[in-house]
Amino acid sequence: MALMPKRVKHRKEQRGRVKGNATRGIQVSFGDWGLQVLEPGHIRGTTIEACRIAATQYVRGEGKLYIRIFPNKPVTARPLETRMGTGKGEPDHWVAVVRPGKILFELAGVSEEAARECFARVAYKLPLKVRLVGRTIKV
Amino acid sequence: MSADSKVSVKKRQKLGTAETRRLRLSGLVPGIVYGHQQEPQPVVVDETLIHPIVVSGHKVVDLDVEGVLEKAIIRDVQVDPFTRLIQHIDFMRVDPNERVTVDVAIELKGTAPGILSGGMLEHQLHSIKVDCLAYQIPDSIVVKVSDLQLGGVIHVNELEIPPGVHVQTQGELIVVHVVKVSTRELDLAAPGAAEPEVIGKKAGEAEADAAPAKKK
Repeated sequence: MALMPKRVKHRKEQRGRVKGNATRGIQVSFGDWGLQVLEPGHIRGTTIEACRIAATQYVRGEGKLYIRIFPNKPVTARPLETRMGTGKGEPDHWVAVVRPGKILFELAGVSEEAARECFARVAYKLPLKVRLVGRTIKV
Repeated sequence: MSADSKVSVKKRQKLGTAETRRLRLSGLVPGIVYGHQQEPQPVVVDETLIHPIVVSGHKVVDLDVEGVLEKAIIRDVQVDPFTRLIQHIDFMRVDPNERVTVDVAIELKGTAPGILSGGMLEHQLHSIKVDCLAYQIPDSIVVKVSDLQLGGVIHVNELEIPPGVHVQTQGELIVVHVVKVSTRELDLAAPGAAEPEVIGKKAGEAEADAAPAKKK
């Protein structure tokens, strides 16, 4: 079972548009290195889980991974080969809405090289452009 | 102790969003000088000049505001999350013999032997709040972790603080510790409800809503 909320107010939501940049969750707060997203979009719960597995396999026994996003938005889908009409489809999966600047994952207790390599593996799983950022600004 | 750095700034006459955007595009950083019951003075400083000072952790600077020398501490720095460039800087006028409260970074030094015995070094507190004379502000507090075994902890009250500097952060907070790496992972494969519970709806109603759409 992929990540999803335990309780929700409504089973279905409207899709909406992802506008603007992130204003919260834009600093590396828990670890030493962060993976920052550079494009707006949706990230599925299953994708977050795939990223978590890829990262923990690499840093196993060395570092600590923090996941800073959660898929709290339901996305509906219609069954295949059905005609139009009969209302909105059924909930299919859950997504996290991300805006440019959001820190998706953080790593603690690893060197910059290890964090770079680890997040490169994570980036392959993601549908959006990302980059490595540190805690402080550099010269 | 902070080595004083000289920063030449110019007074800023034109204010507002558009003007500050133009300044940033031309490689300048807008800022403000305030404190000591004088009028706040909007200023502008060269990005290439201020960036290394901010990165080095220096707090006290010698401000040269168009020929007028003043001592100031860097109170706040706003950084753009995308470009990682400084967007705005706050200088607070200060007397070298005046007590100030500032955040000082904590720097870890050495390799903890606990890591070799299967532990992980967890750096929990990255800065502490200190109260000291303006000319005594340390650039960073160095913490030696070369004696830290598995399960070892360094608290705030165990830090080596320079004389004359008083820590305001709670002493029992953990700065760094070596913990055993947890192999426990999220049990996402465990069977659970396919759909979350809907707040305010009974089980029967939720099931009726969840009935699949009829195929035409």
